[in-house]
Amino acid sequence: MKLSRRISYLEASARQRIAALLDPDSFREILPPTLQRISPHLGMFDAPVAFDDGAVIGEGLLCGKPVFLFAQEGKFRGGSLGEVHAAKITGLLLRAAERKPAAVLGLFDSGGVRLEEANAGEIGSTEIMRAIFAAQRAGVPVIGLIGGSCGCFGGSSIISSCCDALIASEEGRLSVSGPEVIETIMGVEAFDSRDRSLVWRTTGGKNRFLFGKVSKLVDDHIPAFREAATALIAPSIPLTAELLQAERQHLSKRIEQFSECTDARQIWAKMGLDANRVPEMSAEELSTAASSLVH
Amino acid sequence: MELLPLLDQLFPEGHQVSVTDWLVSGEAVLGGAPVAVLGTTNHVFIGIREAVTLSGKLLETVAQHPKRPIIMLVDNNGQRMALDEELLVLPEYIAHLLRAQQFARLQGHPLIAIVYGNSIAGGFIAFGMGADRIVSLPGAETSVMKLEAISRVTKMPLEKLQALAEKVSVFAPGCKNFFKMGGLHDIWTEDFSGQLQRLLQSTDTRDIRAALGRERGGREAASAVIDDVLHA
Repeated sequence: MKLSRRISYLEASARQRIAALLDPDSFREILPPTLQRISPHLGMFDAPVAFDDGAVIGEGLLCGKPVFLFAQEGKFRGGSLGEVHAAKITGLLLRAAERKPAAVLGLFDSGGVRLEEANAGEIGSTEIMRAIFAAQRAGVPVIGLIGGSCGCFGGSSIISSCCDALIASEEGRLSVSGPEVIETIMGVEAFDSRDRSLVWRTTGGKNRFLFGKVSKLVDDHIPAFREAATALIAPSIPLTAELLQAERQHLSKRIEQFSECTDARQIWAKMGLDANRVPEMSAEELSTAASSLVH
Repeated sequence: MELLPLLDQLFPEGHQVSVTDWLVSGEAVLGGAPVAVLGTTNHVFIGIREAVTLSGKLLETVAQHPKRPIIMLVDNNGQRMALDEELLVLPEYIAHLLRAQQFARLQGHPLIAIVYGNSIAGGFIAFGMGADRIVSLPGAETSVMKLEAISRVTKMPLEKLQALAEKVSVFAPGCKNFFKMGGLHDIWTEDFSGQLQRLLQSTDTRDIRAALGRERGGREAASAVIDDVLHA
């Protein structure tokens, strides 16, 4: 067995992730912090600003292939989508549609729309989605990576779900309404956000992988994300009636099969897995178990 | 604005639209030509079932009526907020609905969203904000989160937020604010049918919202940032 030091994706900053993900010294940042493109709005709320507005964008190489990359910094205001943050990502995707790199990598780490800039963040989120579609139409695949400490919620969850493929670790949570928001609005009996194992079972990478939304489940190790991203680079598949009908049937069937389930453990048991063992399985072990299931 | 009088005002040449407890679907005649009508009502929450129903209607229209304009009537109270829907990966369902809208666009269907009721957060993203053109009518309400909830989440005093909301469009609920940010192409107050016909003649598939936000002074940074990234 090969032993290597674990390089945690969860704990790294956006720039540390980029440095460990791409080929050494290949990253060229666009609108770097020296240009100080800060939020024009946060000052009104007496809130601190960041010189990159929590989004790092640029170009680099992944195993020798030219890629574009954007990375949300969860350590700045929860990786939230503000006006400048969102516009940097939109600009990068539109640039990719013109210049056609081998792929765009999106490193998600975000609680969603920045509430101090709620309207700009929400409109900006949908501009990013339109820009993903523009890149995909040009044949450029957009590959999302989810494994940061803020997870991928709200507008960011829908943006990432528009990607061609997702890579996630178990720690990488994905849902529209975050557990805290559901608890605040619907009550603790609807979702106890302090129950960490419930949160991970429901929104974590394993559940998303077993449903097929996450293409590749990895352990919390940046080189594992790098390997998975390299393997997933392939031209974006054009939208056709057949493709969308199949997608719709797949999603409708999931409702028929699993909508009675109130806990991920029931779903996993129904899929034929040893539900109690799923949380403790490594990414590789679960991937092997999943590949032998008959859906 | 109420749905049934709205249908009569939008489509005085005639419409055959069925309305269930939440789904609005059918066709109408506008300027002598047929249009598809697809919408929601009763402030429905957009969840997994709503998403696949709406995407099914979109795919049906593309298959049966090539290039027919699709008029999206928007009224929702946001995304359905529940553990069991998130358990089944709600963001995937919303993205699927957006992909169906993108497919319709690529097949030559103009997409016009008319916000006549509420339109909130993930509900507005799922069905409305993905259109080529987005307009609102009298009585419509757009928001991301109510000020009370923003106050709870950000821990900022509600009084401070209410005072800021009077003069700051970037976060405050309301169509006027969304318009200023470029999130609504227009706000209609009269002659809805005539305006819709003119809009259909002038619409295209470019996303011009960042430019509108700059022109209107509500969102001046976004289009400059996008241009700088494109030319860096």
